[in-house]
Amino acid sequence: MAHYFKSVLTVLAARGLQAIIVAVIVGIVSFAMMQALPGDAAFRIAAGRYGYDMMDAAAAEAVRLELGLDAPWFVQLWGWLGQLAQFDLGNSLVYGTPVVDEIATQLGYSLLLAGGAIVASLMIALPMGVATGLNPDSLLDRICMGLSVFLRAVPAFALGVVLVLVFAVQLKLFPVAGFRGIENLILPSFTLGIGLAAVSNRVVRDAVVDAMNSDWQLFARTKGLSARLTLARHVLRNAALPVVTYVGVQLAYLIEGVVIVETVFAWPGIGHALVHAIFGRDIAMVQGTALTLGLLYVALNLCVDLACRGIDPRERAV
Amino acid sequence: MSSSIVVKALSVFAGAERLMGPVSFQVNPGGTLVVMGETGAGKSLIAQAILGTLPAALRAEGEIYINANRADQLSPVERAKLWGRDIATLPQEPWRALDPLMRSFGQVTEAHRLVARLSPREANKATQKAFETLSLTGAEQRLPSALSGGMAQRVAFAAATAANAPILLADEPTKGLDAERHSKVIDLLAEVPQAGGTLLAITHEASVARRLGGMMLVLREGTLVEQGQTTKILNAPTDSYTQSLLDADPLNWPVSTPSSLGDTVLTVKDLSVARGHKTLFQGFNLDLREGEKLALTGPSGIGKTTLLDALAGLLKPQSGTVLRDPSLSRHGIQKLYQDPPAAFPDRISLSRTLKDVARLHRTDWNEVLHHLEQLGISPALLNRRPDEVSGGELQRISIARALTVKPKILLADEPTSRLDPITQRETLAMLAGIAAKNQIAIVLVTHDQNIAQKWADRTISLTAAPESTE
Amino acid sequence: MQQTNTIPSTHAQTKQTKQPLAKVLGFALVAGLAIAAIGGPGLIGVDPAKQSLLATLSPPSLAHPLGTDHLGRDMAARLLSGAQLSLSLALLSVLTAGLPGTILGVTSAWFGGWTDRILGAFADAVLAMPGLLLVLMLAAIAPGSWWTLYAGISLTLWVEYFRYTRQRARIVLADPSVEASRLLGLGPLLLVRRHLIPEIGPGLLTIAAFGAATAVTAVAALGFVNVGVRPPTAEWGVMMTELLPYWREAPFLILQPVACLVITVLALHLSVGGLRRS
Repeated sequence: MAHYFKSVLTVLAARGLQAIIVAVIVGIVSFAMMQALPGDAAFRIAAGRYGYDMMDAAAAEAVRLELGLDAPWFVQLWGWLGQLAQFDLGNSLVYGTPVVDEIATQLGYSLLLAGGAIVASLMIALPMGVATGLNPDSLLDRICMGLSVFLRAVPAFALGVVLVLVFAVQLKLFPVAGFRGIENLILPSFTLGIGLAAVSNRVVRDAVVDAMNSDWQLFARTKGLSARLTLARHVLRNAALPVVTYVGVQLAYLIEGVVIVETVFAWPGIGHALVHAIFGRDIAMVQGTALTLGLLYVALNLCVDLACRGIDPRERAV
Repeated sequence: MSSSIVVKALSVFAGAERLMGPVSFQVNPGGTLVVMGETGAGKSLIAQAILGTLPAALRAEGEIYINANRADQLSPVERAKLWGRDIATLPQEPWRALDPLMRSFGQVTEAHRLVARLSPREANKATQKAFETLSLTGAEQRLPSALSGGMAQRVAFAAATAANAPILLADEPTKGLDAERHSKVIDLLAEVPQAGGTLLAITHEASVARRLGGMMLVLREGTLVEQGQTTKILNAPTDSYTQSLLDADPLNWPVSTPSSLGDTVLTVKDLSVARGHKTLFQGFNLDLREGEKLALTGPSGIGKTTLLDALAGLLKPQSGTVLRDPSLSRHGIQKLYQDPPAAFPDRISLSRTLKDVARLHRTDWNEVLHHLEQLGISPALLNRRPDEVSGGELQRISIARALTVKPKILLADEPTSRLDPITQRETLAMLAGIAAKNQIAIVLVTHDQNIAQKWADRTISLTAAPESTE
Repeated sequence: MQQTNTIPSTHAQTKQTKQPLAKVLGFALVAGLAIAAIGGPGLIGVDPAKQSLLATLSPPSLAHPLGTDHLGRDMAARLLSGAQLSLSLALLSVLTAGLPGTILGVTSAWFGGWTDRILGAFADAVLAMPGLLLVLMLAAIAPGSWWTLYAGISLTLWVEYFRYTRQRARIVLADPSVEASRLLGLGPLLLVRRHLIPEIGPGLLTIAAFGAATAVTAVAALGFVNVGVRPPTAEWGVMMTELLPYWREAPFLILQPVACLVITVLALHLSVGGLRRS
């Protein structure tokens, strides 16, 4: 058991370091964005902090002094990152509200969409992958292969547009955009889920094929276990390992997809907010939303790491 | 009493091509049948045909009876019901036959519970007992990756025989095990007929056949060449192929003629070698002379390969010196490897590889061809890539490649352990001939004491740190 | 000695000359797209920016083989112009990501130690975030400009080459065959030519094709959400956004850039064998 906790601690430490790297990168790029903006930085930051209504030249001067905006850029960067380290994300430059409050409401929507996408992808990929994996090189296998290659080539936003045109506008089965209820979740979830499943169903298939062709599968059979028992006791567990690992690989696609698909469906989540903020040059919001998405990515990766450890005893003590 | 296995005119086909057969035999309870032949002789096909696990592309013809019931006409599902209950199977590579994610106790106890239909408590007790009899105590909670080869073989044995099937099929049960574990597995198998069971063992080693006794089949490229009592065949084979198989057993090799020794080419003084922070052995001394045939033996994991690396100058010794004679050029030490395909760049043709070396050392290409001819390699083979020639051929090509740089010392790291016995014998004989002809010193690492005794001028047995002698 | 000849060299010279159909199709499509991209709107001699407010959303005709958009601009010319933009950016990013990525990967595997650790840490830092997120943020420094987009894509894509090369090169260099070659006196140049290039070349080609597809998708995705290239530039993602409001009047228009994008990505994937086991 002690070994188990030690290995979990290693995972936590690695992911913690990753989280710090994410924060530093987001901070640096946001700072560069700020520097690249035309006009007076002190003015904008003051506006960011206190809102446009509450600020004047004096406030801007105070900010200039406080942040040392006359100082060389690297001193300023240090101060910028220092603020980030204190979880001070500032106020939206457009709305004047604290960035943290905005994100708090958006995060729930994004998590809902991410969760829906994973569920949708598993609903497609697992049955498809197991069925083709148990019948490799069958007609079904070849059809699924072709479908996977094709769907993999369709970018999420293009798929989203097509799904909207067909199911929402033409057939009127689902709402077009926005969020009023759970029915809004279905189209964006499947837009992302289909993209994820296009690859992961092949991963499931290959994992099942490998397991079925393994020496240990044959030995489990020849020692007397039935096909069904062998599948349940040995094959599925071994096949699950690469599949869960692959979910980890797909997380990057998932987060990227959330950003784009939220925009397509006007989904009130963080990704939509990020795109909106970039367009409106609301740097405080860009920083806050990008940071949250980056940390969400780290957190989901952590979940996958721990799930792998749950399945694979080799990662624990032997 | 009826026979356990009766096989009548069994053949295995791939399409219209006959891969194996026809063979006929019967084995009675308490009896043993040994199937002997080289790799690729179709031995495993017999076991697969009896079990019904032939690959889908292959087809068996003939009649198979198991415990007096016709087995070859059963449906796959009916046939699978014999597994574990009527026939137990000991797998070829036990490591790969165990579920990598399940602890060894679980893999055995599930057979007691789900195949022998014991209650969970009885199953646990039976498993515990099996672990004790097989001296596996302490390994219950280990995963296959943490088991040694011998332990994995015994865990597989316990799982396979949990439901007390009267027939045991063992396909190359000693593959990959060193001498000591070798004999333990054979003891285990020999107990099966003594207890009234039936044993069908497949092997390429005459020594295994000798110890198991019973009846015997000898296969060559799928064709039966000899059949009868094991001891009779082994003592007086009627077929020339069987004879050459027996001659290939190192035990039956003639003792090689002593080499004529030249000057000292390598002097090793008080050498210690470490892997990581662990000292493998210390105080190793060696005085290697031109034309000498030296064998290095020792149990696996002792550091034989690491020692070769130190001799070749690939590894910095922990302490001590490896002194090359000034006459030894920079490329004067060459190596032969255990796995011939791994020793060649695998995506380019063999002639490309050999020509590179010849060009670098300004060796005339005709000289390379001459070496190849002496080693029995046709130049046409060189147009192929390493994975397109056999292991034996490739090992000989690698000898030719080494000769291209005119070395004084050849370090051979188990160069024949992946080869068939006949090929092994030929390859080592050629190596000896080359040592004599070119006055090259050869250091042969082997785990086989018999090879060392018969082949080398002298043998150094490595023992674990701290001591090791000349 | 005669006995040896009875052990056959089972694998005769069966060099695979036959390529799978999908690969051939992919290559043909890529070649076609390359011609379209090199020629650009010049191929049909129409200015992609020329508006004609009298002929908006017109269906295909002789004058406009693929119709016109909401501003009366020729669709075919705009799609060709978009191909030019996307594919040249993709090719550029394959080069600027692939060369340093591969060279650094080999360097890392060859020298090991601190070189390897520092380069590895740098790669990990880039991988700490999803690639597109990084591209998005970099694009936000100067929205609408193609060079931040290009820099962002290259910066995220080089890691693929680096990681693949480093991992494969490590395995290859640790192989007994490399040790044997070193003992036989082969220098670094020959080791690279005989051992490394044949071993990692095919894999790099696959990464390059998939990387190019990623770049094309990223450009379109960012254009589509209005943070990449901006109107009036003819870019497939931008065109989709522009034409989305008119899907009812002219559904065939919005589907054109979608089809171009899908065909390009599909062609690149197929040219290296599609979805074979990665």
